[in-house]
Order: sequence, then C-alpha cells, then structure tokens
Amino acid sequence: MALTERRTERRLPTWARLLLVIGLLYTFLAGVKFLESGIKAFGSDAAADLFAGISNPLAGLFAGVLATVLVQSSSVTTATIVGLVGSGTLPFDTAVPMIMGANIGTTVTNTLASLGHIRRSEEFKRAFAGATMHDFFNVMAVSLLLPLELLTGFLSTMAENAAGWLSDAGVQGGELGDSPLKSAVKWPVTQVENLIDGASDNVVGAVLLIVGLGLIFLSLAFITKNMKEVLAGRIERSMNEILSRGGGVPAMLVGLVMTVAVQSSSITTSILIPIIAAGVLTLQNAYPITLGANVGTTVTALLASLATDRPEALAIALTHTLFNLAGILVFYPLPQLRHLPIKAAQRLAEVAVANRVLALTYVVGTFVIVPLVGIVLLR
Amino acid sequence: MVLEFFRRGADGRLEAVESKVGQMLSDARHSFDLAASTVLAGADPSVVGDDVHTTDKRINALEREVRRDLVVHVSVHTARADLPMVLAYMAVAKDVERIGDYAKNIYDLATQGTDLSGAEDLEQLDSYCQRTSLLIAQTAQTFLDRATPEARRYLAEADVLLKEYDDRIDECVASDRPSSYGVPRALFYRYLKRITAHLMNVLTALTMPVDRLAYYDEAEQDRLPLDE
Repeated sequence: MALTERRTERRLPTWARLLLVIGLLYTFLAGVKFLESGIKAFGSDAAADLFAGISNPLAGLFAGVLATVLVQSSSVTTATIVGLVGSGTLPFDTAVPMIMGANIGTTVTNTLASLGHIRRSEEFKRAFAGATMHDFFNVMAVSLLLPLELLTGFLSTMAENAAGWLSDAGVQGGELGDSPLKSAVKWPVTQVENLIDGASDNVVGAVLLIVGLGLIFLSLAFITKNMKEVLAGRIERSMNEILSRGGGVPAMLVGLVMTVAVQSSSITTSILIPIIAAGVLTLQNAYPITLGANVGTTVTALLASLATDRPEALAIALTHTLFNLAGILVFYPLPQLRHLPIKAAQRLAEVAVANRVLALTYVVGTFVIVPLVGIVLLR
Repeated sequence: MVLEFFRRGADGRLEAVESKVGQMLSDARHSFDLAASTVLAGADPSVVGDDVHTTDKRINALEREVRRDLVVHVSVHTARADLPMVLAYMAVAKDVERIGDYAKNIYDLATQGTDLSGAEDLEQLDSYCQRTSLLIAQTAQTFLDRATPEARRYLAEADVLLKEYDDRIDECVASDRPSSYGVPRALFYRYLKRITAHLMNVLTALTMPVDRLAYYDEAEQDRLPLDE
C-alpha cells in the first residue's frame, strides 16, 4: 500500500547505460568535429566577418552570456567556443571573455527555477537568494578577473602553457597529432562530406555547422538526462551527507563531482533551489556546492577540446577551468570576501520579495536586455 | 562526504529514510521500556531520566532528519519522486515521534510519584506493558520487512488491545476507589492506548493507500488478517 506499492520504472541495466553514455560522448565529440569542419568549410573570410563584431572583450562577454541563456547550457556554449577556436576561426583572445560570459549565463537556469516559489514570500526569499548568490559570485569573479586578464593575460598564459605541455604529452595531440579518438570522430564528418560532395563551400559549411550544433545540443541533453537518472540515488545520498555535516570544501568537491557526472552545472544548482527554499539547506552550505559546480562544468569544454586539432582549443578550455579556480581562490578563503555574494544575494532577495516585478526585471535585465544592448552598442 | 558519491549501495530510493524510521522505533521501544520500569518495577526515575530524555531527543532529531531527507528526495528526483511514499514517511515519522512523547509521559508519571511496583494489579499492568513493548518491536520488524500480511495481523491484535485499554480506563473512571488509585491507572492505560494507536497508524502504511493512512477503524476489512 502506501509504502509497499513502489512505482514501476523501466530502467536500463547498468551496462546498457554505460554503452549509451559512451555512444553519447562519441556523438558529442563528433558534433564538435562537425562544427569545426563546418566553420572551416565557410572559409576564413566568412568566419572572420562573423566574429569581427565581438572583438571587443565586453561584447564577447555579453555574447557568451546571451548564447548560454538562449541554449540554457554553458556546456553547449563552451563546447561550441572550443570547436570554433579549434577550427582556427575564433581567435583565442576573443574567446576568453565569451567563455567567462558563458559562466554568467548558465546561472539563469537556477534563477528561473527560483521563480517557481514566487507566490510564497519566505520560500521565495530563500530560493531567490540561493540562485542569485551564484550570479553575484560569477559577476564578481568576471569583474575582477576579466580586467586583470586583459591587462596581464595571466589566465591565458597559464592555460596556453598547460595546453602546450598536455599537447606535448599527447593528451590532445596538437595540430599535427592524429590520435585514434580524433580519427574516430572525423569519420562521420567525412561520410557527410562525401554525401554532399560537389555542393558549394557555403552549403557544405552550413550542413556541417547545423549537424554539429544539433549533435552537441542533443548529446549533452541526453548525457545529462541519462546521468541524472543513473546517479540520482548517489546525488541524494551526497546531499543528505552535506545536510548532516555542513558545507565547506568537501561540499565544494561534491558539487564538482556531481556536475562532472551529470555534465551540467544547471542540474546541480537547480537541485539546490527547492532544498534551500524549504529552509533545509542554508545558503552558507549551498554556496560551496555552487562553486564546485562552476569548476565541474568546465570538464565539458575540456572533453570537447579532445576532438579538435589545435592546442588553442585545449587552451581555451583550460582557461575556463582556471578562471573558475581563480575565482574560488580569490573569493573563498577569506570570510569577508566569501560572504559577499551571499550577502548581496540576500539583500537582492529582500528587495525582490517586497516587489516581485523587480525579480522578473532582474532576470530579464541581467540575462537578456543588458547583454543584448551591450552587444549592439559595443560591436 | 565526497566518497559517499562513489560508494556503492542503495539507489537512494528512500532506503535511508526507512532505516531512520526503524531506528526511531527501536529508540521508542527503549524509551518506553525505561519509562515503564520506573512506574512498574520501582526503577529510580532520577537514574533513568537522562537516558529517557536523551533517547527522546534522538527520536526528535531523527524525525527532523527524515523530513530533510524527504525534501532532498523530492528535489533530486523531481517528477520521478515517489510522492505517496514521501507523504507516508512524513506521517509515519510523526507517529513514531509521538510514541516517544508518550513514553516520556509515562516517565513523568513516575517523577510525579506514581509507583505501582507493589500494586495488586501489577501482573495485569506488566502484562499490558510487555504486550505494548513487543508490539513496538513487531511493528519495527514488519515495517522494515514491508510485510503486509503481518501488518494486518498485528493491526487486528492491536485492535483487541485498544478495546481492552478502553475497558480498563472505563473501570478507573467508574471506580469508587480514591483518585490516587484511579487517576494514575487511567493515565497509564490512556498512554498505552495512544502508543498502540500510533503503532497501528504506522502499520496502516503497509496496508492502506496514503489517503487512508491511520484510518484503520473505519472499514472492518482493513482490520482483519488477509486469511479471515
């Protein structure tokens, strides 16, 4: 009866799930290869025109925000950026602010999730603060690290050095390398190219681009869905552990591991929102999970770089990781700085509860209007 | 904490909650046995008091943990969360927490001066206590085993006990003896009855759908073993 009638679920056996994930990862990498080849097929002039408008770093940042908001996934955006850098058509320096923008854009999902509690004041206050502390952290990290990066290039230098070492070590293969993985993901691209042999460069480019974007989007969506189903029990256990033992660095690692496993920081951070809204998880304990998710989500771009030819693609993926690690190193160790995003989010939540229209205005303004206006004005 | 993610084990489908409710029942029995010993066996309330209160606090803490776990379950599984089960566990945890409270009420009787260790009806009182204590243990095992036929059998047995407790309370109320005789017994039987009723509520989680939890006395067929 109430406790004896379990829902019957058709669940795939573990080996089938594993095969499915391997297949989806292959599809994802093939998607990156399609994208890279599609851009190349357009020719360098067309690609240069496409990205000329966002050579301004702020425009690039806003483009990263907006693209991520539109596809609701920083993984899709960063994988695409990696593919574009890998094709040699998106300059590495232009891509750096875009990848930081993707970091900001990805927080829209849990902010939207928090709006589900808008009718219940106390719940909404907690949920909105829980969602926007992620926004504040990312905005603060970008506000500090982007100018610093533009002035000194410290992130890109570190990333390029690391990419150089990794390429030399054969991890990515580099421009001249031809690993079995790259040959495998090149195969479907060659098949599609053979199918449309004789078409103009623009047609070939458009077909490969559309197939690539579609494969990246779908494979990531299915990987996330599949892994969330497989790992729901483990996620539940880990969350219970955090609730009983508190946050801190272990919670950050849980956030990282969960996000790497489901390939989506939005899943990790959105799971937190109803728990925070219910008052069961404090902002202080949820905060490190969110930061861990920020780092965990960079694994997708690192994976995507495996399918590309140029070390710059690996370097931009590493920049994403280093940027998030640097943000944590700057803002987390000192309590005064650590609590800034939480306090700002709590203050914003109080305002949002007093005037719910402001909450909606904040979401639309931060994630749509400001980036859109920024791109228009700065391009 | 991080290793928990990699640990093989239950798939998180509320097994932890089930185990915590089992622990709550075990603690409730311990608390009840201690409290009963102060009223019926002459145990010194000041000696067992700490244990009774500590156990009660542990039961309350476990109830709060169960609630948190259920919120996490719903948040993680969202549309796939087993909502009837979640609601049932919420109800069951509350019932077990109440058993802990009634055990404390029995202990309070002793601290207020009730000592029935030399009473003429000690044998009867002790027999009821043992049956109640056993019923807590049986409920815990049945709950953990999800054994619906046993749940129906224990519901039927508990139903008989409830009627007997009512009869004993009626006797106390109608008694011509002084209030120092009737009041402690009436309260004692009342607490035993409430504990039994809460155990029956727990058992109904194995025999009834969520909307009829705890309404074991409204349809005769819900109170009988399957083979009757």
